[in-house]
Amino acid sequence: MNIKDVFTPFTTWSKVVKDPVTIKNPIGREAAPRYRGFHKNDVEACIGCGTCEAICENKAIDLVPYKDPVSGDSGLRPRIDYGRCCWCALCVDICTTNSLSLTNEYTWVDTDPDNFIFTPGVDKKSWDDKKDGWKKPVPNYHFYGQTRVPMGELHAHERIDSFVEFIKGYSKQQAEEEADRCVGCGICTATCPAHMGIPEYIKAIRNDDMEEGLRILYETNPLPEICGRICTHKCEDVCSVGVNGDPLSIRWLKRYIADQIPADTDKYNDILVTKDIKQNNKKVAIIGSGPSGLSAAYYLALLGYSVKIFEKLPQAGGMMRYGIPEYRLPYDQIDKDINYILSVGVEIEYNVTVGKDITLEQLHKDYDAVFAGTGLHLGRSTRIAGSDHPNVYQSVDLLRDIVKEVPVPVERKIVVIGGGNVAMDITRSMARLQMKKFGEVNIITTSLEDEAHMPADREEIVEAREEGCTIIPGYGPQEIIIEDNKVKGLKVWKCLSIFDEDRRFNPKFDASDERIFEGDMVIESIGQGMDISYLSEDFKKDLEFDPRGRVKTNDRFQSSLPWLFLGGDIIQGPDVIHGIANGHIAAQGIDDFLFGNKS
Amino acid sequence: MSNKGLFGFKPDRSNYPEIDKDGKAILDLSSQKYTKLWLGPNHPGVTGNMAVELTISGDEVVEARTHVGYLHRGFEKLIERRLFVQGFPTSIRMCVAEPDTNEYLIAQCTEELSGYADKVPEMAVWLRTLVLELARLQGLLRGVPGQAGTFSLGIGVQWGVYLRDLILDRFEELTGARVYHMYIIPGGVRGLLPAGFKKRLEENLKEIDDFIVRIHQLMFNNSVFKKRSVGVGVIPKEWIDQYGIVGTTARASGVKRDVRKDNPYLVYDQLDFDPPTATDGDIYARTFVRWQELIQTVDLIRQIMAKMPAKGDIRAKMPNVLHWRIPKGETYVRLESGRGEYGMYYVTDGSDKPRRINLRGPSYTHGIALLERMLVNANIADVHAIMVSLQVCPPEIER
Amino acid sequence: MKAIVQEITEKYNLQNAVFQRDNMAFVEVEKKFAIDLVTFLKDYHQFSHFVMMSCVDWIEDGQFQLLYLLHNPALKVDIGIKTYLNRTEPVMQSAHHLWKQIWTYQREIKEAFGIDFPGSPNVDENFVLEGWTEIPHMRRDFDTAAYSEKTYFPREGRFTHDPATYMREKLYPNQPVTAKKNTNE
Repeated sequence: MNIKDVFTPFTTWSKVVKDPVTIKNPIGREAAPRYRGFHKNDVEACIGCGTCEAICENKAIDLVPYKDPVSGDSGLRPRIDYGRCCWCALCVDICTTNSLSLTNEYTWVDTDPDNFIFTPGVDKKSWDDKKDGWKKPVPNYHFYGQTRVPMGELHAHERIDSFVEFIKGYSKQQAEEEADRCVGCGICTATCPAHMGIPEYIKAIRNDDMEEGLRILYETNPLPEICGRICTHKCEDVCSVGVNGDPLSIRWLKRYIADQIPADTDKYNDILVTKDIKQNNKKVAIIGSGPSGLSAAYYLALLGYSVKIFEKLPQAGGMMRYGIPEYRLPYDQIDKDINYILSVGVEIEYNVTVGKDITLEQLHKDYDAVFAGTGLHLGRSTRIAGSDHPNVYQSVDLLRDIVKEVPVPVERKIVVIGGGNVAMDITRSMARLQMKKFGEVNIITTSLEDEAHMPADREEIVEAREEGCTIIPGYGPQEIIIEDNKVKGLKVWKCLSIFDEDRRFNPKFDASDERIFEGDMVIESIGQGMDISYLSEDFKKDLEFDPRGRVKTNDRFQSSLPWLFLGGDIIQGPDVIHGIANGHIAAQGIDDFLFGNKS
Repeated sequence: MSNKGLFGFKPDRSNYPEIDKDGKAILDLSSQKYTKLWLGPNHPGVTGNMAVELTISGDEVVEARTHVGYLHRGFEKLIERRLFVQGFPTSIRMCVAEPDTNEYLIAQCTEELSGYADKVPEMAVWLRTLVLELARLQGLLRGVPGQAGTFSLGIGVQWGVYLRDLILDRFEELTGARVYHMYIIPGGVRGLLPAGFKKRLEENLKEIDDFIVRIHQLMFNNSVFKKRSVGVGVIPKEWIDQYGIVGTTARASGVKRDVRKDNPYLVYDQLDFDPPTATDGDIYARTFVRWQELIQTVDLIRQIMAKMPAKGDIRAKMPNVLHWRIPKGETYVRLESGRGEYGMYYVTDGSDKPRRINLRGPSYTHGIALLERMLVNANIADVHAIMVSLQVCPPEIER
Repeated sequence: MKAIVQEITEKYNLQNAVFQRDNMAFVEVEKKFAIDLVTFLKDYHQFSHFVMMSCVDWIEDGQFQLLYLLHNPALKVDIGIKTYLNRTEPVMQSAHHLWKQIWTYQREIKEAFGIDFPGSPNVDENFVLEGWTEIPHMRRDFDTAAYSEKTYFPREGRFTHDPATYMREKLYPNQPVTAKKNTNE
């Protein structure tokens, strides 16, 4: 130590003349644009999925009602308890809709501590309009996978000459990776007509517990192999992960579970514990072995009913077998689901047409209740000029003949009218037959709806085009051109609009935009009608019908004849999953009807 | 510095306390030769609540016992009950002085055990390094002049806290918070540098450059500081291993230990630095080493800003955080905090939550076993100075 | 490093040596040889830096796992020595004579897990808790949430809804969501 050490510290005095560094008025200082302050929520964008609540490590978030739930929106919104919040913003980072954010506002004075619990966006706050604050970080910062695990499929040239199933199905690794993306919110469950436990069975995949997965599937859906392939997957449309990314491949995941269980009815009975069902000595007759009939039969059988299905065709499955082409839904998979349903005691009598071979009166007499799920099997005609020519066919008839292995006429050039999934099915089926017969595909499919509004699933359209089919949407058929009593083609006009101001079907055309699609045969695929001729006049007078000719039923699918229940495509739909849901509800309805409401 | 001279008078207390045949001090309070003095638990010169129970004879400490528990919130236990991604916002509270170190340890442990350690994007690795060095910088800006503060030399503390606030401004714009940043997340980090960050940081660093010079004049050429720190609180070299002493405290006693050099992590092997050392092992040496480290940290931050990539991904593609499971395993990850080796033992059991996390902070050894030893024969006026010179941080002891 | 692990594996009949990293290994040793092995590494292989001591409750196996983590500053390598104690009477030989900070760890582990280290200084004193009457708080069977609910009070007016359940109650309360079965049970 020396004398210098005594004087050097006085250099500090040089700071005396400097301005102070303190902020004169720190209240109201604007925080940084990324600051994590109070919450803000865009309640219209929010769907109430609750991932914010799930990720909150302090249990600071509750989901409270904001409005009535609708498909795709639980109607709940997050409420924050600032007594617990630590402003980590994990809730923002995981938010599926990006509706939740934190503002950079950080001062809030209130004398009542209970005010510090509020629902952002619902309880108005002074910072609701602030732009700055914490938002989900960029780039490539995601708490769950944004993109779908791609599904392996046969290339178009590998699949076009056969009816072999072309979707390969997920491997274990792929399925687990896809299942990992699920945030488990359960928004999808309400939208699924059968209200399947979707997050639960996806969780079973993550846990690699296929038996648990199968048990969950069968709670609400006795046709998982079928639905896992051809369901219209309305669940995927509302998937919260799909708001900012690809929705979960819910359908393929369901298929994955079902595919993992071998086709062994004993094994199914063990897993699903359906070996000692107690009979209740009641009998139910079911007309039609389509999805609704099979579903009703299965759930009735579990309840102890003796169930018999009357099927017009030689095999069970209805439209699933006779309408949907084998390349989408192989027969062995249909058999796998149906064989298990048969194994729980359901009987099927084939080649019996109710109304012809046996009357409904007889069924009413012999059984305690009847469920009719007879479906839509009659093709509808466009009724344009030439549509009565023998070379003009109905798609449902052809599709059925293909399954029945009845020879189907195949011409070199084919025109299909229709833009729905059935139109795509017949287009792609005929393309395969053309390929087999002529080695080339020459098929044109046209629909009234323009490309964006075609009712068919997008992937069906894409895949049909991959297979060489020509799809020209937005044209309305005017006439089938016939020369020398042979079909030459289809004349179409550009379709300007389909519905009039009253939303009635009343298409408008531009006759100046006329095209001729050449073809040696024309297939109509514009919708199907029902055949309910088994309802004799005696019954009909006691039944009520809606304007579209459908029997009116209550929410249990019970008609005004209390012993008669109807479901499936003739009531709702048309699709498989509605049929399954109808069948399950009707089974419960029949049970309540016969035993009183014991639930 | 000798004990003789103008200010160097020291009474001869070689006979106090008396030593019994087992070598233990005989401290009979009823003899009236000794009295108890409690320091704390209200912030006795350290960054957190802790009590030191002193037995004194005159103004000399003859025995010291530490008492902790005033800040125990069971963080390790709480993190055991949380998903892997939920741990980091809680962990930061285990050390207020440099919260980012906890975030990094949790991230690194989970990444290593789940096999994602090498998948963290390069950009994120650089940003992690930057944040850890900024955390060290703000700690030193408070800690170096804080040592003078224990001798009632408050001016440097005021300068330091102001400059620390400037660094906190940078933290605020980068991470969204000033003190508890919650920035390093398993898989990466939570944001790129905002526009203009580099320029503003450089302005701050220039002010700090000036501060470094001034603090040198204020502290290390200061008769009061020297008088109070030279030869006080000496840690002999042999104690380093005996007591598990780490970081600048070890380096000031001539044992060059720095995790950044010994077991390089992040991008430290791409940076040019040489940890400063000293040999005296007293308070002055430790403070001087930290002052040199301040210079080095500013230099490291400049190196990082110069070498860091301009853009890139900030987080690896990881499993869904809600279902993330880590196979059974265990690891220990360490880093060099401003106080020395700071590590975490992390055990997983195959579930979606950790089985056990256990923090190893330097204060655990410095603040209890070593402090109790060092306070023996110290003057009560020096107790604070010794504690601060060991950088004791109680929340990290109790967790 | 490999050679050292090889040597102690043979000498102490170790099982399950795991190299977590090239410079870090975890080994399991019988309880009665644990302190012996720690001493051996310290004295013969210059693992002079005692990093930490830790404890893990493997309640499902009925065991506590103790960890002694040692660092060799010259080689810059770590070895974690693990040993298992029976959970019903957890007593371990004290190692406080080896490093001067070990008694602190042992005192904490006594409080947090209830493992006794006879002879360790101050081992029976409270470490961070005062007036604690529950089971040792770091044991797996100590339920923090239950303790918190018992000890403190919840905030009034908190309630929440599960989206799927709420939608079911509101949108389709009567539709079956399970397969009812008529069984003998």
